[in-house]
This record gives sequence, C-alpha cells and structure tokens, in this order.
Amino acid sequence: MSVTIATINYTREYQRRGEVPYGSPVYNSIMDFLIREARLLDHRDIKSWGELLAEDLEYKAPVRITRRVQQFDQEFGTMGHFDDDYNSMMVRITRLTTTTNAWSEDPASRVRRFVSNVTVWETDVPDEYEVSSYLLLTRNRAEANNYKQLSAERNDRLRMTKSGFKLARRSILLDQVVLGMPNFAIFL
Amino acid sequence: MHFNARPEYMKEALSQFIDIENREVSVAVLHDEQLYELELEHIFAKAWLMIGHDTEIPNVGDYVVRLMGEDQVIVARAADGQVHVSLNVCPHRAMHVCLADSGNARVHKCIYHGWAFRPDGSFIGAPIEKEQMHGNIKTKEQLGLKKARVELFGGLIFATWNHEGPSLDEWLGDMKFYYQMLFDRTDKGLEVLGPPQRLTIDANWKTAGEQSACDGFHTLTLHGSVIDIGAMGGEADTEHESAPAMYGINLSGNGHSLRCIAADTSWALAHGKGDLTPEERLEAFPPPGITKELLPELKRKMSAEQLHVLAKAPPVVGGMFPNMNILFIYSPLRDGTLGAALVLHSIMPKGPHHFEWTTYYFAEKGTPENVKVMMRAAATHGTGTSGIIEQDDSDTWPHMTESAKGVIGRTETLKYQAILGENRPAGWPDKAKVYEGFGKDDAQWEWWLAYHRLMTASA
Repeated sequence: MSVTIATINYTREYQRRGEVPYGSPVYNSIMDFLIREARLLDHRDIKSWGELLAEDLEYKAPVRITRRVQQFDQEFGTMGHFDDDYNSMMVRITRLTTTTNAWSEDPASRVRRFVSNVTVWETDVPDEYEVSSYLLLTRNRAEANNYKQLSAERNDRLRMTKSGFKLARRSILLDQVVLGMPNFAIFL
Repeated sequence: MHFNARPEYMKEALSQFIDIENREVSVAVLHDEQLYELELEHIFAKAWLMIGHDTEIPNVGDYVVRLMGEDQVIVARAADGQVHVSLNVCPHRAMHVCLADSGNARVHKCIYHGWAFRPDGSFIGAPIEKEQMHGNIKTKEQLGLKKARVELFGGLIFATWNHEGPSLDEWLGDMKFYYQMLFDRTDKGLEVLGPPQRLTIDANWKTAGEQSACDGFHTLTLHGSVIDIGAMGGEADTEHESAPAMYGINLSGNGHSLRCIAADTSWALAHGKGDLTPEERLEAFPPPGITKELLPELKRKMSAEQLHVLAKAPPVVGGMFPNMNILFIYSPLRDGTLGAALVLHSIMPKGPHHFEWTTYYFAEKGTPENVKVMMRAAATHGTGTSGIIEQDDSDTWPHMTESAKGVIGRTETLKYQAILGENRPAGWPDKAKVYEGFGKDDAQWEWWLAYHRLMTASA
C-alpha cells in the first residue's frame, strides 16, 4: 500500500452507538462545552482552554488529499498539520502564554470560531460521547482587510468527569488540501 | 525601479537589484512582476527541483502530482520501474490530464477528449482509433506529455526542464559529499512518513529561499520563545547570552548550503558536559535520525572524511538552491528519549507575492515503526504548519513582502554585510566553502550570487 493512503479512520464511525437526541440534557451540555471552548479560545484564554483537555488527549488534523471519487474514503494522510498529545499541547500553551517572544501570535490574530451541525452519539464507554461538529473559523491579522477562513468537520471524544467535560480526542478534517493560512499558531 | 527584460540589458538591469560590491539586494526583488516572470524561466525552468521521494510511489502506476514553479507535473512510476516526470498538460487542448493529487493508474486519460498517456508520458492514442483524431501531421511519438529530466538522489526525486544543462551531480558539486550524510547514509535509505503538508504563504518565494541558506542568526530572536521554554536544550536563563548553537560550521557551494553544529555543543545541550572523544561521541550520540542500530550501516556507507565531519559537526539545517529547506535536527520524542525530526520543505512560487510551502517528513526505513510515529509527531510539533519553531517564520516572510509594495520601502536593501570569511578548520575536508565560527551572512550571500549567476546566464 502506498504511503499516500491513510490507514486511519478519523471519523471513528464504528465507535458510534445510539444518537443522543437534539435538545436533551446531554446534548445541551455538550453544546455548552463546544461554545465555551470556542469562547475561551476566541478570547485568548488559552490556559483555561488547556484545562478542558484530558491527559490521554489525541489531537490531530490530518492532511487532506484530492482523490478520485472511487477513493473518497482514502482522502486523509498519515501526516497531519497537528499530531499532538497532552504533553505536546501543554508545550504549545506554555509557549503562547508564558513567553514574550511567541511572534506568530503577537500581535495576535483576531479569531472567531463558529460551531454548528452538532451530532452526539453514545459510545461503549459510559460517560463518553462521540461528537461531530462543523467549524467555520475566521482569522484576521494585522492590517488585512479580509479574513483567512477555514472550514472543517471535527470528530471529538468527550468524557464527562467530576469537573465537567474533557476533550479526549479531536480529529479535525479540514476542507482545504492547500491551506490558505500560513500557520496553525491557533487551535481548532 | 522596474526590470528591463530585454536580454542585452539583463546584466545591467540585475545590477540595479543586486549590489555585489556592497553585498546588498534591493527590496524591490520581492515585488517586481517582470523579474518574477524571468525567475520562472531562468530559475524554475532551469534548476534541478526536488519534487518528492521515491517511497511515495513504490508501485508501478503510482503517481503524485507536484509543482515545478507554476507548472503541474505528474510524477509516476512506469512499467519500466523508473520514475518519470511529465507536464500535467494535455498536448491536445491543454487540459490537466491528472485531476487527483495521487493515486495509481496504468493509463492517464484526459477527461476532455480522451487522449490517453502511459505513466512514462508517452501517447497511447485518442478514442475512435480508426478516425485518427490526433491527425496525421504529428506522429504519436511527438504527442506525448512534455517530459522533464529526472534524477534520484537518496530517493529524493529531482527534475528539471533543462535537458542540456548540468547533471544533478554537477549541479550539487562539492555539496553532494555533505548531503550524502543526510539523504544517502544507510542501506535502505529514507522513507516519507506520509503525504506532505501544503499551505500558501503570502510572501515572495525568495524570503524563504534566502533564509534557508544558513540564516542561523534569526534563531535567537524570532525563535526566542522556543529558547524561553527550554525546548532547544540548555538552560533558558543563560541560553540567549551563550547562544551555543550559533557557533558551528557553515558550508556553501553553488548556492547550496548546510549548517553544521558542533557535536560537543549538541551533546552538552542534551546531556550536560561530558568529556568524550569525537569517535566515542559519535557512538554514544549518533547524528539526528540515526538510531544505535543503524550506526554500523552509517559507518560502513560513509567515507573516513565523512565520518570525521559527522563526529566533529554533523550538518543539521540548511538548504539546496533555489528552493529547498532542510532540517535534520535532534528532537525529544513522546517517550522522553531524544530522537529526531527529519524535515524537507520546498518553496514553490505562486506569483510574486505568494508561494506554496510544502513539508515532507522522513525517517530512515530501518527505524522501528513506533519510533517513526513519534518522529512524525515531533516533526509536526516543531516544524511545518503548526510547528512551534516555523510558525514564526511563516509570519515574518509576508511582512517583508509587504515592505516591498511601498515605493519607498522597495528602495531599501537586504544587507549581507556580516562577513566571517572562509576559514577551513584543520582536518576538515577540502570541499565547498567552509566558514567556522558564529554563523554570519556568508552562505546567504552565496545564495544571492547563485541567483545572480542563473538570472544572467545566457539561455
């Protein structure tokens, strides 16, 4: 098999069990979580966002590849734009929040994360949910009179703990093969 | 200042942009559209360009579509088992023949009128054979996809449109001796760790191009955050002052360059002080990407001279003229051990104010699978799109390009006046230009001289 073909199922459909109905208490609390983390990130409260991450975190944004429709199920690569665990995310957060030399985001971009189309499934693990959401992100920087935009589908594993939901896994399926923004100095 | 493109004025016109005596380059080179068009012809249609790796297309029919300048090419493994590079433009009506980024096909059939081509670019025919829809003015042999000249080095696929020009060996010159220590140093060689990252940077391609030629100095400031958090090794509070990785050996030849960091410096950063001979250190602390298991292969494959370099100061970062950036660096792995990130970038122009930044990650094939996975994560963490090192670079190059848009801004110059001068240390191989000491502008200036040579070379 060619290395250009992904062997990983980033949507994890096989882990999805019963769908949690729209408007139910669990659904609402998950919506609340997604909105809260977007708000924290948009307002650059990156440390507080970091507290929402589980210690067994897997955070990935695989590269996308344009393929013939017959290979539509093989359009994500083994390489990614993010390939992180909890510790490496903490290094990123430390860099952005404790130094005065993190120039890629200083002065900071103005970012807005719009989250919609949320679907929630139960899983085989009690208190853990598979969550699919759409992300539309606008990023404005310096004097640009336009935005760098990004749209993606995120497939998350959320875990209910004593201190609320934690993000245990996030697979970000980007709609761009060639990214329009020069870096991911921001989180998705 | 605008460029006069008439060939007889080329040298004189370029001298307006590049002041050789004072080692200054006009900022206008980051903006001028006529100059850009000439770069496509004189550089991107003439130079050897790295466009992928052998391991991306292991089977007959495998292909990837890549860029050479602004031209799309199909990089395919044909029935002869060889890698062929063909222009992705149908000779019939200029339609793209390949519409996917990668795949496997024994026949590439244009979706417009059905002209069909083999992976080696040769023309098979058009539909309704008896009607001979390619006419009878040109033969089938004349109607294949335009072919680039191809050479492989360490599995890296190089291609050029310059069929009469230098071979890849001649192009690399003395620097090949050093590149072998990175790309061609084990029995099985390197492999890619997946399809590359691709992104667009709103900057002129030369901002990243010239930086790749051993700009070590920017590390202290632009990458200050990485030093602050101790991710470069050493003690954060003394790191800025002592700047240990700034001292090393820069190499330059034909515009290509590499930066060698003294092995005792890397050793001290990773392990604290130690008193080892170069040979002992090579044993205890092999170059980035070489595991202890691969060390015997390295020793067998490298010459005594190359082993001397690897023990004293292995090459770790640099570039290949005109548009490749190299980082083969030590990097901590997830499991707490010290590993490596093996990274190559290509810088492909997309107009004067944009370029595509493509990032490939590698490991030696002989690396254990679990280590490859950790190396990929380490490379992603440090370099490329979200890399905590390189995200600062990608934010800097657009600013330089913006500066060139102002009519006053473009009268400023890029200055390469910090000169170390050639000073080959005793025992160092007599190959390429060698600059030992605090890394200065020497190799970057050589990059511009190579640019100047190619731009003024008669076709």
